[in-house]
Amino acid sequence: MLVLGSICAFFAYKMYHKPHVNVAASKSDISLSADKILTDFTSDENAANAVYLEKIIEVNGIISDVKIENEKGIITLKTNDDFGSVLCHLSENATKEMNTLKTGQSIRLKGICTGFLMDVILVKCEISNQ
Amino acid sequence: MKLIFTIFFSFLFIGISNCQDRFLTKNGAISFYSKAAMEDITADNNQVLSIIDATSGKMAISILMKSFLFKKALMQEHFNENYAESDKFPKATFKGDILNFDAIGETLTTAKVKGILTIHGISKEIIIDANFTRTKDAIVVDGGFIIEVDDFNINIPAVVAKNIAKKIKVSFNFNHKPFNK
Repeated sequence: MLVLGSICAFFAYKMYHKPHVNVAASKSDISLSADKILTDFTSDENAANAVYLEKIIEVNGIISDVKIENEKGIITLKTNDDFGSVLCHLSENATKEMNTLKTGQSIRLKGICTGFLMDVILVKCEISNQ
Repeated sequence: MKLIFTIFFSFLFIGISNCQDRFLTKNGAISFYSKAAMEDITADNNQVLSIIDATSGKMAISILMKSFLFKKALMQEHFNENYAESDKFPKATFKGDILNFDAIGETLTTAKVKGILTIHGISKEIIIDANFTRTKDAIVVDGGFIIEVDDFNINIPAVVAKNIAKKIKVSFNFNHKPFNK
């Protein structure tokens, strides 16, 4: 009984402290261009939510803006749309690596999609390659 | 569909702007804090969209529920799946007016903001105090308020009632920049 109890307690403890998904170490669920993901969200947001939310997305595109706000890096990827873009909020580690990035450069980023406001938003992004 | 969107957005932007008078941020910060007997829980969202029309003092905010990041993965899962039901209600919104907007200038001014807050599909009128500073190239807003989870039809099961507060403290910080497109 005691053994069973301690096993349960152990698993409960493990569950409680379950780590977040490690984006850097995980394979992406979907890989596509910044244009494609934005078009999917602007044409049918609900359908796109079902496909992309909480998935690890690898997105490639051209950088239109690089900035750091509140010590966190934000990279904007250009699209053909007038209003929308893909906003990639970088992880702490990726923020340290972003100082070489320039506007106009093409890039591949991997992050978790949280949805669409004016732009498609990815969080916890890692730089896959440059 | 794309055309409808373009027209819709054109009207939206014409509606709330006279060119230079729109201020916007795409990375506003909102965090919430639940203090309960068993544990304290915080979550941060740094992707909040907020728009102020500086001619009318109208304010519109959109928040993605899944952009709230928690320290513990399990808490984030419970928040999205059981409490906020983020798949059903992916966004929270606020639409309202900054009262006495013209009195806001370069010195820190406290003003009331009145409007409709929608969370979990439930809309409720709120009036809160917020601190403003306005210069030519920025409108900065910060403040905090308390929401009661019962008001937004969020059910917390009795089993975890000791872990999650009934009143959640929300704080926000938006640094709006002029939007030219």
